Amino acid sequence: MIANAIVETDALEEFIEEIEKAKDCLPKKIDANPKTVEKGLAKLVLTLIELIRKLLEKQAMRRVEAGSLSEEEIENVGETLMKLENKMDELKEIFGLKDEELNLNLGPLGDLM
Amino acid sequence: MKLYLYGIIDFSNQITESIYGLEGSNVYNIPFCDIGAVVSEISQPIRDVTEGAVLEHEAVVEKLMANFTVLPVRFGTVVNSRDELFSMMESYYRDFKSNLARLHNKLEFGIKVIWPADKVKANIIRVLKKDEQTIESDNSPSKRFIEEKFEKYKIDKEFEAKANRFIKIIDIFFGKFAAEKKLEKLKTQNLLLDAVYLVEKDKQRDFKEALEHIKNANYPGFKYLFSGPWPAYNFVILSRQSGLLTDSQQTNDILDKVTQCQALVGANSI
Amino acid sequence: MNSVVVKSKEVTLLEILDRVLDKGVIISGDVVISVADVDLIYLGLKVLLSSVETMEKLRGSPFISPMQEAK
Repeated sequence: MIANAIVETDALEEFIEEIEKAKDCLPKKIDANPKTVEKGLAKLVLTLIELIRKLLEKQAMRRVEAGSLSEEEIENVGETLMKLENKMDELKEIFGLKDEELNLNLGPLGDLM
Repeated sequence: MKLYLYGIIDFSNQITESIYGLEGSNVYNIPFCDIGAVVSEISQPIRDVTEGAVLEHEAVVEKLMANFTVLPVRFGTVVNSRDELFSMMESYYRDFKSNLARLHNKLEFGIKVIWPADKVKANIIRVLKKDEQTIESDNSPSKRFIEEKFEKYKIDKEFEAKANRFIKIIDIFFGKFAAEKKLEKLKTQNLLLDAVYLVEKDKQRDFKEALEHIKNANYPGFKYLFSGPWPAYNFVILSRQSGLLTDSQQTNDILDKVTQCQALVGANSI
Repeated sequence: MNSVVVKSKEVTLLEILDRVLDKGVIISGDVVISVADVDLIYLGLKVLLSSVETMEKLRGSPFISPMQEAK
């Protein structure tokens, strides 16, 4: 066969499963099939929005952690984030997209999440 | 006839070994100055990625690896003609030269590590629960939302901190035998580490032994996948500032190929 | 035994695909016809996002002022 390279492991099946899972996180192309192009574009856009939403959430958590938010601010931030999440859930349902599909793996550049 | 490109090598003569590539065509070297582009003729551009074609591509690159320093080219790269190949080689020449020098006598190895993510997480939750005050139930929905999110945030943060710690340990085993490395953390919850290491040829035995050492360290629930030696796919770095000769069209008119080569080689050695 | 061989082939293939399709010399430009022109959009996206991340690293978190960060 090919490959002088050897692959050696004590847990073949588990690695195959994880590698496949990791691959699915990576959006490869926009699906430009005429029938599904809408979903493909929605996926791209929602992936970006989801990234920003998670980023906002994380920043909010950092501020909660630092104790730098007043009670009132916590109320506000909470309401905003909750509404945002609900809206995203709605959109995901409309386009039939799952959470995993909106995960932008940034690879070696490091996850922003 | 279009040319399918397999790799760039540090060799500018004909390859003596007969190698067959995609469509069963003969693989040969097209010299450009002191390096070469290894190609075979192909009737049409690649439309689909098939397992067979990918394996054929890889097989050619690995055969090249046995005798030369090789920069593997991504699957499916096709140029229309020799002229186009030359103009590509010209604009990337500097990049190719510096990569060939950097990767000379080095090989790529992959290390993947699975860790017991569920157990790690369960432990974190147990510890956090211990010193947690009860959440007041009369809080507003938005406040409760934040509190729940914050719980998750704390767990995730600790999870990541643990991952970082283990990755550091693993990297101590392998890192000392490597010239360069790229580590990716938690591609999935279970896949703690996906790493590639660039290793000098005469250190590959030590590197391989590091795997045995880390296995002997017996971290419970940790599993390893070791692969290699590979051509250095993950360590080709192109600056993208192609175009050493600023206006290649114009230069083509003025210089013949030989002087161009001298200019290129000379410029590179400065 | 046989299934182990098959699985091991599968994982080898995964390792190869990961390299051959995504890595190595990736030539951009008009000269080259490549299978995967479409994924350049995502490549561009990655670069964009990574520069956002770098920015964040350079000046601390964008949402936290230096005062708060000093805590």
